[in-house]
Amino acid sequence: MTDLLREILQTLRNNKLRTGLTGFAVAWGILMLVVLVGMSKGVLTSFESNAAEGTSDNVNIWGGNTSMPYQGYKENRRIRLKASDIDVLESELGDRMTGATATVSIDTAVISTPSDYITGGLYGVFPEMEKTGRMKLAHGRFINRRDIDEARRVLVISESNAKILFGDAEKAVGRPVKSMQLAFIVVGVYSNEGNTTNYAPFTTVNAIKGDGGYINQIRLNVSNLSTEEEGLEFEKDVRATMGRIHQFNPDDESAIWIWNQFVNHLTMGGAFRILNMAIWIIGLFTMLSGIIGVSNIMFVSVRERTHEIGIRRAIGAKPRNILVQIILESVFITALFGYIGIFLGILANEGIAAAFSGSDFIKDPTVDLRLALYVTIVLIVSGALAGLFPALRALKIKPVEALRDE
Amino acid sequence: MPIIDLKDINKTYQGAVPLHVLKDINLEIERGELVSIMGSSGSGKSTLLNILGILDTYDTGEYHLGGVLIKNLSENRAAELRNRMIGFVFQSFNLISYKNAVENVALPLFYQGVSRKKRNRLAMEQLERLGLADRAHHLPGELSGGQKQRVAIARSLITNPSIILADEPTGALDSKTSHDVMQIFRQLNAEGMTIVIVTHDPGVGEQTNRIIRLVDGQIIDRP
Repeated sequence: MTDLLREILQTLRNNKLRTGLTGFAVAWGILMLVVLVGMSKGVLTSFESNAAEGTSDNVNIWGGNTSMPYQGYKENRRIRLKASDIDVLESELGDRMTGATATVSIDTAVISTPSDYITGGLYGVFPEMEKTGRMKLAHGRFINRRDIDEARRVLVISESNAKILFGDAEKAVGRPVKSMQLAFIVVGVYSNEGNTTNYAPFTTVNAIKGDGGYINQIRLNVSNLSTEEEGLEFEKDVRATMGRIHQFNPDDESAIWIWNQFVNHLTMGGAFRILNMAIWIIGLFTMLSGIIGVSNIMFVSVRERTHEIGIRRAIGAKPRNILVQIILESVFITALFGYIGIFLGILANEGIAAAFSGSDFIKDPTVDLRLALYVTIVLIVSGALAGLFPALRALKIKPVEALRDE
Repeated sequence: MPIIDLKDINKTYQGAVPLHVLKDINLEIERGELVSIMGSSGSGKSTLLNILGILDTYDTGEYHLGGVLIKNLSENRAAELRNRMIGFVFQSFNLISYKNAVENVALPLFYQGVSRKKRNRLAMEQLERLGLADRAHHLPGELSGGQKQRVAIARSLITNPSIILADEPTGALDSKTSHDVMQIFRQLNAEGMTIVIVTHDPGVGEQTNRIIRLVDGQIIDRP
C-alpha cells in the first residue's frame, strides 16, 4: 500500500503544474461549498434563534382608521385600542393563546430629580419587553411580574438619562424620581444605544391614565397553531372580535393593523429553506465542476501516459494494477485538495463569523465537524468516480498499441 | 521440450483489405538458444515477436511457451506470464522517464508484490552485473543510448525470465554500442539464457547462433 502511494506521489510530482491546477479547481469548489453552506447556515441559525427568543409566536395589534362604513358609522373613524380589549380577546381566543402583553404610553410625562429632569414620557410595558426589545441591562433589573401585578411605581431608564438625572448611571438604581406628581424608584439602567425610552410597568401607566384610557399596542402570544392557514384564521378571529367591540366591519383591513409574526415566520422559514436548498445546489454544482475537472485531467493524463501504461502492461502490470493506480491518483488529488478547500473554507467562515459578530442577520456561520466525515466520504467516492472512466479508458488500450504510441 | 513451440500459427489483421501477416508459422526454439528473427519491414517479424511476448494474439494454430498453451488467456493471466516468463528489450528502450535506473529495473518486481527494499537490492545487483552501478540513481534522460539499453536489459533480467525477447535492440545505437549490447546478449546466452532477437540488421543476425528468416509472413531457409 505504501508502495502504491509512493508510486502515485511520484506520478503527481512528475506533473506538478497539472496536479496543482486540478487541485486548485477541487479546493476552490469545496471552499465555495463550505463558505456558501456556512453563510446559509448562519442566516438560518440567526432566524431560528429569533424564533427561539419568542419573536415568532405572536400577533401584534395597533389601532387604525376604518375604511368602510359599518352599522351607521361612516368610514374614516379612528379605532383606538383599550386595555379592556385584552380581557375580551383572552376570554374569546384563549384556546389559541398563552397570554397577552400590551404597551401604553404617557408621552407628556416628565421625570425629575432635585437636580435635573428628562422628557420622553412613560412607556408602560410587560416583563417580556426585556426579551423582545433585547434590553441590555447595565445596572439593576428590568420590569418584573410583581411590578405588573402590584402596579408598582418603578422605572427602567437609559444610561444617558441616568447620567442626566443622577450624574452617574451606576448610582441610579434604587434612587427615587418624580413623575406625574408621583414618586417612582429607578430599578434598572439599560445600555442600548439610541434608545432613551423610560420603561414602567404596564399596569402602573395604565392606572395613571385611568379607566377608558387608550393603549398603544396589544401583543397576543399564540399557541396551538401550526400552519399558515391556522395563523390566518386566528388573525381573522381577532378582527371579528375587535370588530364587535369597536363596531367595525371584520373585513375592514385598515380598522386595526395586525402584524402576524407567526405567519411571517412561517413564510420566511419557507423562503429561507428554499434559499438554503438553492445554496446547497449551487455549492454542490461548484464542487461537481471541480470533480469533473479532475476527471477531465485524468483523461488527459491517461492519454499522455498511454506509452508508459503500455510499458507497465508489457512488464507485467495487470489491468487491475493500472485501474487501481489511476483511481487512487484521482482520489488522492480530490481528497488532498478537498481537505485544503475545507480547511480554507472553515477559516473563511471564522473570518465571516468575526466580521458579523453581533449581527442579527448572520449568526455562527460555521460548518460543524460532522460534515467533515460526510465530506470525506463524498470526496473519496467522487474522486473514485472521476478516476473510474479515465481508468477504464486506459484499460481499453492494448499493450501493443500503447507501446507503439510515442 | 522446446521453450517456444509454434504450430501452424496464422495471423490476419482485419481491415478494409485484410492483411495476412503470418502464414502457417512453425517454429521451435530450445532452451539456451540465441536466435535471431530477420526480415525486411512488413515481413511480419514484429507481429511474430508480439505473439511470442503475449502482447498480441493469433488466429489459428497453437503456441506453447514453456509448456503452457498460450491461447485465449485472460488479461490477468497474460500479464502474469509476461511478468514471470518473459523479459522485453525494445528498440526505443521504453524506460519510464521520471524513474531513475534502479526504479526502472525494479518495476517488474513491483507488480509481483516484492517489497521495495528487496526489489531495489535485486535491481542494484542487476545493474552491477551490467556495469551500471554508478548510474543507478540517474534518470533515463541523463544516460547515453547504450546505458539506457543496458538498464532495459537489466530490467528484463530481474524477474529471472525463461526467455528474453529483444525487438531491434540495437536499432537506436551506433555500431560500437551495438557491438557492446550484442556482447552482453552473447554473455547472457553463455550463462544459459534463451534469447530471441528480432532485427533487420545482418550484422546482428550474424552474431546469433541461428537465424530465422521471415519473408512475407513465411519462414524460409530453415536450417
